[in-house]
Amino acid sequence: MTGTPALELRSVHRTYGFGPSATIALDDVGLTVPAGRFVSLIGPSGCGKSTLLRIAAGLEEPDHGEIRLHGVPPARACAAKMIGLVPQSPALLPWLSVLKNVTLPHRINKRAARRRERITGSGERTTNAPDMRQLLVKAGLGEAMDKLPAELSGGMRQRAAIVRAFGLRPDVLVMDEPFSALDEFTRESLQDQLLDLWDELKTTVLFVTHSVSEAVRLSDTVVVMAPRPGRIVDTIEIDLPRPRNDRLFAERRFHEYEDLVRDRLHSAWHREAA
Amino acid sequence: MSGVREVGEVSEMTVVDARTEHATVGRPPVEPSRYSLRHPRSRIAWVRPAIWAPFVLMVAVLALLWHWGAEKLPYLLPPLSDIGHSLSSDLGYYTGNAMVTLGEATAGLATGFAAAFVLAVLTSELPPLRRAVMPIAVVLNVTPLVAIAPALVVAFGFGPTPKLVIAALICFFPIFINVSAGLRSVPQQVLQVYRTIDASRAELLWHVRVPNALPYLFAALRIVFPLSIVGAVVAEMSAAGSARGLGTAISVASSMNQLPVVYASIAVLAVMGVLLLLAVTLVERRVLHWHDSAHD
Ligand SMILES: Nc1ncnc2c1ncn2[C@@H]1O[C@H](COP(=O)(O)OP(=O)(O)OP(=O)(O)O)[C@@H](O)[C@H]1O
Ligand SMILES: [Mg+2]
Repeated sequence: MTGTPALELRSVHRTYGFGPSATIALDDVGLTVPAGRFVSLIGPSGCGKSTLLRIAAGLEEPDHGEIRLHGVPPARACAAKMIGLVPQSPALLPWLSVLKNVTLPHRINKRAARRRERITGSGERTTNAPDMRQLLVKAGLGEAMDKLPAELSGGMRQRAAIVRAFGLRPDVLVMDEPFSALDEFTRESLQDQLLDLWDELKTTVLFVTHSVSEAVRLSDTVVVMAPRPGRIVDTIEIDLPRPRNDRLFAERRFHEYEDLVRDRLHSAWHREAA
Repeated sequence: MSGVREVGEVSEMTVVDARTEHATVGRPPVEPSRYSLRHPRSRIAWVRPAIWAPFVLMVAVLALLWHWGAEKLPYLLPPLSDIGHSLSSDLGYYTGNAMVTLGEATAGLATGFAAAFVLAVLTSELPPLRRAVMPIAVVLNVTPLVAIAPALVVAFGFGPTPKLVIAALICFFPIFINVSAGLRSVPQQVLQVYRTIDASRAELLWHVRVPNALPYLFAALRIVFPLSIVGAVVAEMSAAGSARGLGTAISVASSMNQLPVVYASIAVLAVMGVLLLLAVTLVERRVLHWHDSAHD
């Protein structure tokens, strides 16, 4: 299993529209993510981060290029429930309680378990469906389990969406700016909780963000993108120890990484302007 | 008297129509009981004169106006006491005819509802069918369908069939259009979440689209329940030879110049409409407890 990467994109192109008004959202994008890595995509607005995420999650087809998740194309990965998606908004069903919202995916597409066993070889991840109640308690939603989404705060709803995705024990977790609508304080506590959950499940994460410190804090690898055409300009390994606690964020190394990412973002920006 | 009281309830309930589309706004935490006066939507608020006095005053003014009108225009308005007398002395006549009309209306409603719901699901799943059907449905929805009642009487005779057909037709289009909109208005990001786990169309329909369409369905039902009675009555009135139903009672009584019977029948129809509206609202409160519209 260690041989095949969790996610592999090869020369992926995606263009929206036709003729002179066409937008090249992704131009010859290649990316290889080994299993268990936390990878962030960062870049200015319109550089194709969401497009890359949708294509990786099988929600959209590229014009050409190849995508493999644990060696299979996205459609097969979806059919085997190997992908967990956390969109920008929580996207909970307003008529279901939090508990029912996070357990509904288990009752959908039940044939996925066997397909997944065949793809990933071992069924060790899939055999015991995690106790969703326990996962909710861990995410601080123990009290809110039987409430409706409308009765929760924005941060709690986003946590429920994360638990819903983690509950699938996905082989690849894709998240599109899941914290962007939250205030600074809530965001930091959710980042901690995300890292806690991730520590336990050790799944592969593809995480889109606008925030440099969020990317450095969470990731093993930060992928810097640039727009017009949308492309990958840099890949930075964040070599900081885990677990990453508050003490680490006061350290110089942390800020050096932040400066490095910011620097690469700027040079991508200026190269484009020139 | 009771008829007038019910009219007041209608105006109070129509306010509920002002609905918001998504239940994103938080509800206040559970506070004083709804049987306490301090609750913002207390169920016993009516014990306060400030709540009921304006309504009672309005009813009294209306009754006085009617009384005055009945003296000035005896050929338009019968005295209220005559209407009340007719109602109480011939109660069996009114309830018997009311049951006939109600039966036609609800049978039409059930037929129209079933057909509309099934077609809405089919068109939401089959885009070519939707493109074929939707434009016609939108046009027919604004067409006054009651106008074809005489033609239906010619086709189906004086039995209950034309009444049922009219009631069903009237109910069909609002339900069809609203449920179609509801099935298709699931937010994009919700669909994306369920597409990444490869939910089948049936699973998506059952777990996501149909529940999402329920608020739209109830918005239509609140319009369509009282309308079904209008359809049945119009069909009864167009079938000059039919024997029963409140529509027949009205046309017979007006041809014989029995104004109190006409108005008594109208009052009974109004009560029926209110009861139907009340029934929808009660069911809606149970089914849509999660939705904003169920909380006012
Ligand atoms: N469905 C679409 N139709 C047409 N153009 C699109 C569509 N989706 C994306 N684009 C275009 O593709 C480019 C990349 O969009 P994308 O949403 O991937 O950017 P992004 O990096 O996620 O930006 P942001 O940080 O603002 O979310 C943009 O120029 C956008 O206008
Ligand atoms: Mg985006």
